[in-house]
Amino acid sequence: MTTSATLELARGRRARVGPASTAHSSASNSASNPASSPAATRPLASATWAASQARAFRLGLAPALIVLAAITFLPGIMLVTVSLTPLSLTDASATFRFDDPLANYRQLLVDERFLNSLVVQFKLSTVGVLLQLLVGLGLALLLDSGSRVASGVRTLFLIPMVLPPIVVALIWKIVYTPEISPLHSLLAQAGWPLRSLIANPDTALWALVAADTWQWFPFTLLMVLANLQMIPRDPLEAARMDGASRWQVFIHVILPYLQRTLVVCALFRLIDSFKAFPLLYILTNGGPGTVTEVTNFYGFIQAFNFSYWGYGSAIAVVMLVVVCGLSLVIAGLASRGGRHGH
Amino acid sequence: MSRTTYVYDNGVLVPRRRLLASTVGLGALGLGFPGLALSKTLKGVTLNVSVYSSDYPRLLRPWLREFEESTGARVNLDTPGFPVYNQRADLELSTKGSAFDVVNVTFIYSSRWIESGWLTPLDDFLGDANRTAADFEVSDFLPGALAPERGRDGKLYGIPWTAQVTLAAASRFDVLKAQGLSFPETTDDWLKAAQAVNGKEGAAGFVADNHYGWTFPPFLHAFGGDIFRRAPDDLFPTLDTPEAIAAADYFSKLIRDFGPDGAVTFNADQSLQSVKAGRTNLTVQGQNYLSQLGDPKTSRVASTAAWGPVPAGPKGRFPGTAVHAFGIPTGSRNKDAAWQFITWASSKATQLRAVEAGYGSPTRRSVIESDRFAERQRINGHDLAKLSADSIDLAAKSGHMKYRTVSVYPQVDQQLNKAIELIVSGQRSAEQAMKQAQTASIAELRRAGIDL
Repeated sequence: MTTSATLELARGRRARVGPASTAHSSASNSASNPASSPAATRPLASATWAASQARAFRLGLAPALIVLAAITFLPGIMLVTVSLTPLSLTDASATFRFDDPLANYRQLLVDERFLNSLVVQFKLSTVGVLLQLLVGLGLALLLDSGSRVASGVRTLFLIPMVLPPIVVALIWKIVYTPEISPLHSLLAQAGWPLRSLIANPDTALWALVAADTWQWFPFTLLMVLANLQMIPRDPLEAARMDGASRWQVFIHVILPYLQRTLVVCALFRLIDSFKAFPLLYILTNGGPGTVTEVTNFYGFIQAFNFSYWGYGSAIAVVMLVVVCGLSLVIAGLASRGGRHGH
Repeated sequence: MSRTTYVYDNGVLVPRRRLLASTVGLGALGLGFPGLALSKTLKGVTLNVSVYSSDYPRLLRPWLREFEESTGARVNLDTPGFPVYNQRADLELSTKGSAFDVVNVTFIYSSRWIESGWLTPLDDFLGDANRTAADFEVSDFLPGALAPERGRDGKLYGIPWTAQVTLAAASRFDVLKAQGLSFPETTDDWLKAAQAVNGKEGAAGFVADNHYGWTFPPFLHAFGGDIFRRAPDDLFPTLDTPEAIAAADYFSKLIRDFGPDGAVTFNADQSLQSVKAGRTNLTVQGQNYLSQLGDPKTSRVASTAAWGPVPAGPKGRFPGTAVHAFGIPTGSRNKDAAWQFITWASSKATQLRAVEAGYGSPTRRSVIESDRFAERQRINGHDLAKLSADSIDLAAKSGHMKYRTVSVYPQVDQQLNKAIELIVSGQRSAEQAMKQAQTASIAELRRAGIDL
């Protein structure tokens, strides 16, 4: 819009300087103002039209931008404001008191349960995302063929991702409850009885990671498959003709093409892993003890179980900052990927 | 007492005999409408009622039209899930807004909501013969159910519609008897019984809802421990006393050594299912859950189940109780209409009608002692109605449930949940876990502004 307006203005200036004018400007000028015949008035009218167009665009966009700002920035501002107060539903006097605005953040630094939740979050996010990438990539490579069987299997693999998270959590609750679990029953029949994984503090977190991986590896699968189909065939054939093994082709030809997709997948999933809630809530409730208590779950407890809205908001702000940081990284990588693409 | 059969008529559950549909006056009398409420004085009034989803509001819903037709009011009955309701009501009440005219006074929040001035005292309504019919009889409600609805000012802020109490049950009492054991009465008996039946007939020995802040205190009290030094006046936590540590050790041992695999992850529904399916024998849970063991349609152990009071420990027997009541928010603009709704919804006739339809947790003594309720609650020779009423009376006398209505109890409740989980999962000894819970509770209470 700005570029076209500038071009129109430039055309207008050229017209004022000399008698020459483009057929386009004449046409548009006469179309916009058929009553004005002199050539000198045509560019001016064109510029006015461009400015009107720009104004119309701005006016047209304004309502959407205002609504967008209202529903994104206002709650964000509210969140940050509340995080600077000791707001608690049980203490009316603490409502919007700003006498010690950083108290919640200072408390976070010495809150062992919060610090532990960060460690748990780190483990869940890194191991979970890594597994999702590996499983998604591996299956995408296996399914990268035009056969109908591969296409059918591909669709089946997408099911976990489209299920509502609460349904996924309930499925895994059944899988992880030895009394009713088909998995535990089968293993017991095979002579390998397995104790409850979510009741054991050594395995509870990894049981959650497995469930999370099952739900989200299809995201990587989908992205990588799409990318695989865009890889040009020439370098692949050339490498094969040069005697490269399958592994060498993968490492030296395919992987470089997939690199950016995998980075974007990893970052998207990392951001999403901060929002893990239904699995935790249904499977372990953060336990046993606090071994599976991630940061947003702890924030939920502070806000909704204890009514410490100020403190819960401070936890949310910390998460928001981390997620925004990761988003910036995504945006940076995506734009770099775009430039390389050209 | 003759049995009334109810049928759905145009979406509304009505008695087959049409006693109620024939005339509004007779119907009103039969359904507990006070005489003064018969005229359509509430025409144009919309009442917003919010109660968490459970069997009583579910029963009330089809009967609302009768209330509406008799009074002229419109009723919006909102029944979200328990946690959602509590969050929503807590927030709405704190703003003193007018979104709700009748709310459920949730047991664990009752003190917070009453002492914060978020609820309307009901004494003026009760004392006004123009607004309350003589047959409403507030003295008919169990004293133990009314107690948590009173504020420090002595005024009443809620009319109880459910009084739940923790009972004990054995799903396979036949297995206990085969071991030469009677229904366990004391904590020592429980340990022996759990050990004796564990693994017998494919059933584990013991299971409890992993909301340990609810299922553990009867054991804590039985061992002579308590949550606070003297609730509600002295809120210094007492989770690290020798009695509390012994109780935590005992309770965790029951779950760890005799519970089904993964018992520490079992919530209330899972525990109940485990017992109903005969996969676990002994349990301690609310009577509204445990009465379901006697339902042959859903329970595999209907013919072998047995019930008793919670185990008595060295210091006595302390059943847990939880009362939920109808209350009127301070911000309601329809207080008179709200009171009419409450008197209808908790009237003797409505509670009797609910019992007739299968309700298992009435709060009026006359209803609890009615032949119909006694008949329904007598299963395999056990009188659940009497067990419940006795337990509620016991709680009212000893006052041991006062800890639960303290506004900061949710923080301590969390610590207890974590402590028992840590012990059962072997991450901490009972002493370590309870000392940790004590330290964390003190910090939380100080943070909440409690002067310790």
